[in-house]
Order: sequence, then C-alpha cells, then structure tokens
Amino acid sequence: MRSAHRFALLLFLPLVLVAARTHETNPMDSPEDFQEGKRLYRINCGNCHGMEGTTGRGARLARRTYRHGNTDAELFDLIEGGIPGTDMPGLWLEEDDIWRILLFVRSFAAAASTGCEPGAGDVSLGKEVFHSKASCGACHTVGAQGGRLGPDMSFAGVQYTNEQLRLALLEPARDVAKRYRTVRIVDAEGQRVEGVWMNENAYHIYIMDRAENIRSFRKADLQSLEQPEESLMPAYGDMLDASDLDNLLAYLCTLQGASEETAE
Amino acid sequence: MKRKELRLALATALLCTVAPAHAQVANSDLLRDEAVGGDWLNYHGGYSGNRHSLLDQIDLSNVSSIRMDWVFQERISEKFEVTPLVHDGVMYITVPPGDVYALDAETGARLWRYSRRLPEKLIACCGLVNRGLAILGDRLFMATLDAYAIALDRKTGRLLWETELIDYSLGYSGTHAPLVVKDMVMVGTAGGEYGIRGFIDAFDVETGKRRWRFYTIPGPGEFGNDTWADDSWKTGGSSVWITPSYDPELNLVYWGTGNPGPDWNGDVRLGDNLFSDSVVALDADTGKRKWHFQFTPHDVHDWDATQVMVLMDREYRGETRKLLVTANRNGFLYALDRVTGEFLKATQFVKQTWAVGISEEGRPIRRPGRVPTAEGVEVFPAVAGGTNWMSPAYSPDTGLLYVSCRESSSIYIKGDTEYRPGTRYWGSMFINEVTQDDWYGAVRAFHPVSGERIWEHRLFRPAWAGLLSTAGGLIFAGTSDGFFKALDAKTGAERWRINLGAGVQASPMTFESNGRQLVAVAAGGALFVFGLPQPAQD
Repeated sequence: MRSAHRFALLLFLPLVLVAARTHETNPMDSPEDFQEGKRLYRINCGNCHGMEGTTGRGARLARRTYRHGNTDAELFDLIEGGIPGTDMPGLWLEEDDIWRILLFVRSFAAAASTGCEPGAGDVSLGKEVFHSKASCGACHTVGAQGGRLGPDMSFAGVQYTNEQLRLALLEPARDVAKRYRTVRIVDAEGQRVEGVWMNENAYHIYIMDRAENIRSFRKADLQSLEQPEESLMPAYGDMLDASDLDNLLAYLCTLQGASEETAE
Repeated sequence: MKRKELRLALATALLCTVAPAHAQVANSDLLRDEAVGGDWLNYHGGYSGNRHSLLDQIDLSNVSSIRMDWVFQERISEKFEVTPLVHDGVMYITVPPGDVYALDAETGARLWRYSRRLPEKLIACCGLVNRGLAILGDRLFMATLDAYAIALDRKTGRLLWETELIDYSLGYSGTHAPLVVKDMVMVGTAGGEYGIRGFIDAFDVETGKRRWRFYTIPGPGEFGNDTWADDSWKTGGSSVWITPSYDPELNLVYWGTGNPGPDWNGDVRLGDNLFSDSVVALDADTGKRKWHFQFTPHDVHDWDATQVMVLMDREYRGETRKLLVTANRNGFLYALDRVTGEFLKATQFVKQTWAVGISEEGRPIRRPGRVPTAEGVEVFPAVAGGTNWMSPAYSPDTGLLYVSCRESSSIYIKGDTEYRPGTRYWGSMFINEVTQDDWYGAVRAFHPVSGERIWEHRLFRPAWAGLLSTAGGLIFAGTSDGFFKALDAKTGAERWRINLGAGVQASPMTFESNGRQLVAVAAGGALFVFGLPQPAQD
C-alpha cells in the first residue's frame, strides 16, 4: 500500500451502490450480526471515528442525534454513499453488512447515555451565567453573537454530551483540538503575544491573539515559540458554584442551532 | 549544455554524436541516460532512474530569480502525481483519473485532450491517481485505472490500441508510467490491498499484443512458490506501481514490487512471500527472472519496495561495480550488484525500531515484539516508510544520492481478514502517531555506497514529493506544507522557494523550450512551470 494517507484518500473513491437498500429499518438484530458489525466497523470506520466512536478526525458517533440524518434509512444511505463535501467516503459493502455496521454504531448512542439534556438546571439562569458571570460569550459564538477565539457553541447541544461539556468547563486543557491550542510567542522586539493556533508551516506560524487579531510570525525572527497542549479557556471549577454549573449546562444543551439567538 | 560523464557505455557512445533534429522519439533517444537536450522522455528522465538533468541554465547563481512561466489547471479532486514528458516542444501529462493532455511546452496552451471513459466502480487503495506516460515514435503509452495498457497518437490523442491487463473488478489497476524498451511497452499491476496476484506485462508497441508476462508471485512448481503457505500465493498482492529502471547493456529491467497481502496479518501467508517487497531483474526480451533480492521477507508492516531503483557505476571495495542503489521503505539504504543481485551494503537512513540490522546476506535481523498485535505496537518507520514512491535523485556531479526522508512511526494493529474478490484485504489497520517532535521530513544527501549522510535539509512534515537533480548544482524538492524549493546540491542550503498553495505530491522534472530551461512540478490541481525571467514581449 502506498501511503499512510490512504484513509484520507478513500474519500475520493467513487460512490458505488453495490446493493440498494431494501429495508427502511435495520433488519439485523442478532448478537452475531452485532459482532460482525463491530468487526466491519473496526476495519472500515474505526480509523476516523475511533473504536468507541468518540475520537478521531471523523464525526463523533457516540451520541443520540446526528447532523446528517437519524433514521435507520438515512444512516444506511450515509454509510453506503458517504457525505458529499466531507471526508466521509461511501463503502462498497453488501446491504446486510451496512445494516450490521449500523447495528454496532447504534450501540455507541446507548453507551453515550444521556446525550445533552438540560436536566435539573435552569436554562434562563444558565444563559445569564453564559453571558455575564462566566463571560463565555467573550470567546464563544452563539448564533450571530459572541467571540471568535474559541469554538462556535451554536450547536453545543447536538455536538456534545453533558459529560463532555462539564469536563470542558472544569478541565479545559484536557483535550484541546489543535486548532484551539495555545501559542505563546516572544517576538523579535521582546513583545509577548498569546493566542490560539490557526496554521503553521516550515517558516511561519499564524495565530489569533486574545484581541482576535489574526497575526503572522516568521519563526526565524522569534525569541521564543511555545505550543503547550493548553487552552486559553480558564477552568471554571473555582469560579462557578454547582448550581451555576448546572444552569450553564442546561443552557448549553438547548443550543441546537435554532434561530432564537440570532434574532436577538 | 555541459557534456557530463555518463554512466552507461552505450549512452556515452550515443551522446558523442550530435543528435539530428527529428520529430519522432527513437529508441536511441530513450537510451540516453541523463535527460539530454531539451526533452524529458521517461518518467525518471532516463533509464537509470537518477532524475538528473544535464540542463544547467538555472544554477546556484541565478536560481533565486526564477519565476513562474505558466500554470496548467484542471478541476482535479485527486492527487496530481504526474511527471510530465516533453518532446519536440510539446508536453504530455496525465490528469487523474483517466485523462491525457498535450500542452504547448512554452506556453501551456492545450493542444488536445484524451479522456478515458472509466467504469463507475474503480478499485484503488490510495486515490484514483496516475503518474504519467511513456513515449516512442509517434505513440504515447498509459496504464489505466481500469487495468488496461493503451497507446495514443501523440499528435492527436487518438486511441491506437488498448489491451486489457486483467479484470479490474478483482482489484487490479494501473497507475505507474509505463516503460518502453526496444519495441515493447511494459506495465505492472497495482492492487496490493485487494488480494491480487501481481504481474508485469510487455506489449508490442505497434499492436498492443502481449509479448510476455511475469508473475511477481510464482505459481505452483515455480521457484519461490513454496514461500507462501497453502493457497496464499493466489491472493498475496506483490503489486507493481512505480516505473522500473533499465540497463540496456545488461538488457535487464529492475522492478520494485509491493507488499504481500493481507498487509498487517501474515498468519495466512507464512513464509518469505517471494517476490513481494523485492527488486526483480527481468530479461527485457523474455521477461525471465535473472535474479531477485527481497528487502523485507514476510513483511507485516506494508513496506512495499516500490521505490526507485537507481543505477550507477561506482567504486566498491576498490573495484568499479555496476550498482543498483535504493532507499527502501523499511528504513535501510541498499547497494546491490545489478549484474548478479549480490547484496553489498545496507545502511539505516531514518529512525527504525524493527530490525537490529541487516545480515551479511542482506536479510533483516528482526527485533522481537515488533510485529502487529490486536492491541497495536508502535514501530518506526510508519506505514508510509522511511521514504516512499516519490523519486530520489542521483547527481553524477556530486556523486550523492538525494532522498526525501520521512521520520515517523505507526501503531500497527493486527486483525482478522478474509479474501473477497475486489474488496480490501488488509488484516486490520494502522494509526499514525502524530507528535510535534517525532514527525518530520528531511531531504538528505547520502554517499550511495557507504550510506554516510552528507547533509540534511529539514522539512516541517514528511513529504510526498520527489526530487530533481540538475547540472546547475541544484536539487529541486517539494514539501507537504506547499513549498517548492531549490537546494544547493553540495550543502543542502535553500536557495529559492515558493508556496504553491497545496502540498506537492509529485516528482519535479526539467526541460528546455526555445533555449530556456524550465522546471515543472504538479501540486494541488495544477502543474506549475518556472524559468528565468525573460524580456517582456509584445
């Protein structure tokens, strides 16, 4: 095999409808089907989506709802045909095998338990925490408003589970996507600059600084360049009490990309 | 142009006579070892695989002022891996997945286009790619993704003949630029991830009729078949996807072969698995094997030996020997006697953790515990290897071999697999460990026999781009962060660079157009051509 990039390249394979779908719902349900689905998943899907559906460059599968479809038929078609405009390729598999993979993928959602649900928290109080006490909006966008230093939270309720959001609030440095990693620079004049990583090559590094300026630096000119696996986001454990946290989580779970926020 | 020392006696003889201007490509043109004159007539520039040009208009003193002459662009969603051919003022390129273009070499204007009607379901592990063409007379030759060898009229793009290699739906494809030798065109089959049985075919250039076939996995009763347990030889891969080198004097063609399959689980194919991960030296006329050398017996890391086999005559232990030198994906740089296949020397050229070393017979001495497991085992180099299909270059001027090196590791995972025709036959998978410090590339210059590293030009990330050497004392190199650059062949110092906006995944070449030396490289969906500035014209 030629390259380590083969998985990335699979996206260029043409979409092949080996077997048209003959069911609307998954006909596979036996333990044997599940095991076979698990095996096929590991071979075909695991490298991008992670063996547990939680890690990798592909979408997180360990959740209850998906952006591109949720019915068995919709998910079958996604696995078979891929998602145009994304890195998700189609698979040339027999119909039964695709159903078996889906059977296994569905088990992730069950294991992901709660998904994102408001729970005990108060949504409107949480919204207040978001905008005032915790100043989340300084760095995160919701709808048309907010900062651009951190990830867009408009779809937080679809993209993350309660546990993930809680962990991100309490230990933001634990799992920072490269795009949002901290970069610390001391430039040629001795000026300190801190921001998040945007791009990099052999000669330059590009960051968004704390004031949201997009800045480019020639690496050779810098006095120092640090890229710790850290987040600019503060840990909120000491800043918010338990009820603030519950309320904030409740609010975040309601963010499903609806237009309520943009209309403000 | 300087007349440099040439390595092959026959080539020297030919070069001493000034070639008459002629439109057709003659066999004598192909025999010239370096890319002589303004043309580039073979994927590697010449039969020896050195990717070195005698053009020296662009040199150390002026390379900093070269600039873009023209760009060819197409809507290409595949990797653009082609090395163009140039003959008589016309450039010929393949454009993935199945097109061929003739372009005016001076301006890039399109002269004709051939577009192959490909079936909807193509089977290719690593993109619907093609690396280029071969040329002889008025014909161009191409291996296609639907596993055909085809011939086109080089003046019109008209299809002259097409011959099926084998049923593509079983996982076979053609991706490499064919090789023309005498009146034959030779093509090997890709598909090592789909349980194929690899082979190489030679066709009559005029009729497309098959002259011979060599199976890269021997059949029952043939030498080497017993290196495959049970029936595993039938689905053992050993594909061919890079253009071979050729020694006209010995009349031997040197083919690098691909990995055995399934890739990461060798349990169903116990044995050395000949002739996977090998170089096989075939008699050009008959296709019979003269010798073979296997770099990685019973490979379970997917380390195809489809790197370029560079032919050179160099001193070894006080004697000038006809050598074959190749930097292998397994992390070792090998020197072999290309007459007999005798192993001479192997030197580690990137970080590797799988072998203690190479024995006196040329066999790797493996470290225990470095084969894939269900849980995964980290091994250097990565699946992509210490280098890969991108071309090295060899300069007779400096006597150095230049290699685009990849420093990286993979987690190798073993799993079950079963053969189903036309589907992946991998035996699980791998995960690449991507860290800041341990994952980088480098252009390195080596003494080709001793393996001594002379210099290194470090790259931000491991590259997928090949190298070009020129008599101007330059090494042209591409990078994964989009740069195309010129290095001093003696020191590795960077003398020029430009960012092309996409990672370079092809090997550069150079040619002459109306007295000007131009350098071409594909990147992203475009082919870029550079030269020294010329006065403005109306």
